[in-house]
Amino acid sequence: MSTMPMIAVRHLSHIYPGTRKQPPRRALADLSLEVGEGEFAILSGPNGSGKSTLFRILCGMALPSAGAVEVCGADLFREPARVRRCLGVVFQSPAVDKHLSVIENLRIHADLYGLGGPDRAERLEEALAWTDLRERLEHRVATLSGGLARQVELAKVLMTRPRVLLLDEPTTGLDPNSRRNFLDALRRVQQARGMSVLMTSHIFSEAEDADRVAILQDGRLLAHDRPQALRAMLGREMVVVEPVDAAALEARLAADMGLAVRRHGEELRLEETDNGAGLPLLEEILDRYRPMVRSIAIRQPTLEDVFVHVTTAARGREAAAAALQRTGT
Amino acid sequence: MSMARVSISLARREFLGFIRQPARVLGTVMQPILFWVFLGAGFTGSFRPPGMEDMSYLEYFYPGVMVMMMLFASVFASITVIEDRDQGFLQGVLVAPVSRLAIVLGKVMGGSAIALVQVLILSLAAPFLGLAPGPGAALLLLMGYVLTAVSFSALGFALAWGMRSTAGFHAVMMVFLMPLWLLSGALFPLSGAPAWLAVPMLANPVTHALTIIRMPFYAGPATLFADPQYLTSLAVVLAWATLCLWAAARRVERRERGAKTAAAPAE
Repeated sequence: MSTMPMIAVRHLSHIYPGTRKQPPRRALADLSLEVGEGEFAILSGPNGSGKSTLFRILCGMALPSAGAVEVCGADLFREPARVRRCLGVVFQSPAVDKHLSVIENLRIHADLYGLGGPDRAERLEEALAWTDLRERLEHRVATLSGGLARQVELAKVLMTRPRVLLLDEPTTGLDPNSRRNFLDALRRVQQARGMSVLMTSHIFSEAEDADRVAILQDGRLLAHDRPQALRAMLGREMVVVEPVDAAALEARLAADMGLAVRRHGEELRLEETDNGAGLPLLEEILDRYRPMVRSIAIRQPTLEDVFVHVTTAARGREAAAAALQRTGT
Repeated sequence: MSMARVSISLARREFLGFIRQPARVLGTVMQPILFWVFLGAGFTGSFRPPGMEDMSYLEYFYPGVMVMMMLFASVFASITVIEDRDQGFLQGVLVAPVSRLAIVLGKVMGGSAIALVQVLILSLAAPFLGLAPGPGAALLLLMGYVLTAVSFSALGFALAWGMRSTAGFHAVMMVFLMPLWLLSGALFPLSGAPAWLAVPMLANPVTHALTIIRMPFYAGPATLFADPQYLTSLAVVLAWATLCLWAAARRVERRERGAKTAAAPAE
């Protein structure tokens, strides 16, 4: 990781002003978070966790109650113009004009960023290089499929060569193939250019290959680490066996080794164990029953498991604290 | 320079979006024309205001319909701001390194261009009313159209910017924008209105917009520039256009801000 973070959020708090009918609501509470240069970070959290508020603040649409944000080394609140020049934003809802063609949308975007001259054609070329839009440049965006329309959004934003890219649930509503294509393209470009990316997402398969994952709840950061480290935090892994004959192997494992076996269809799952205990177990099973095993694997907890674990644990602590407060004082 | 380029690019987008929706074009052009033809034909028999005995209502109402067209064009353009800003095209514009005034000017120029096209189409009817302004007067007319269209577009923009729903904007249009037009002398002359109505009519900037659009049909530049009524109205409209643009730019510059007061933690 580089020395200077490309996004630095420091002690950020945001309170939505109350109205007559609604009390003020705290959306972010003393949140600090950094995204390093060239890092691909995913921001996740349950609905209402403060993700959208953080996103609105990061793209300069709202001013927080307290705290500081630096993007590309510039103060977001004092020098918004400097930040805007190095920032690219892909919104959840389409930010292209559907009545205009693909190329018209791209040209407007180039105008907004003052891209002109010979540079302009080169940028357009570069922005379209990874897309499937070449044949559709003159078509109106309204006529494109959801996946292609998303490509226009990303192409448009990449054209300005942002150093920091923010994406707000960019794959919402896409089918799995389109989503994969979108993310693969994003990841490729991100790595090629060393861009720093912060993307909000609910879909944990998207987070698996991120550099870091942050989990937000009630405006606080519950976890922020590499996906692998987050999974390790749960400390549970299991050995999964696909046997030739499930019933036979199940009986042997229980009788010979005294293992608690759960059967999942044609699959046998051996109790979740402490980290590191899975491998010796796997070796022992192979030693003893190799002919009865079609395949065997150690399965790590998924990020989804981590997410559920972390967010419910936090809720539990909060409920306990609230109960204590009620009875205590 | 770059500001002009941004504004022109945004205005172009506005205009292209308009002409690519034939239903919208037809609606905004046809509605005022229907109003004009029906009301004009219907009232012509009974319309005999003092001092204008030889003017048909069709002719009287003609500049009023032009102002109405510009009002509707700006309303349609402004309504798109509401959705565009929260979940549409404008999101991307707002995060771009462009001056906030350029965003306003883009929208206003686009909306005004749409209004101008419609008004120029309606201008083709002038000779049939026996109205034939000379080249000088025609230029003054064009200036009147531009100033009025810009004012309306900027006003609509400023009103629409803070709104969460298009339904809210319809309410604003019915209780604020339409009355501005109703009390402008578009439908009935100021001279016949009771005093309690004449005062707000005189204070209404749209009355003055109508004046600088009505008068050039009947007098040349030399006469107009010697006429205190024309000059007053022109000054009022200029001031109004500036005020609306300023208000719109201010609205865009203002970012929503978190409350400073401590609040109970979220549930």
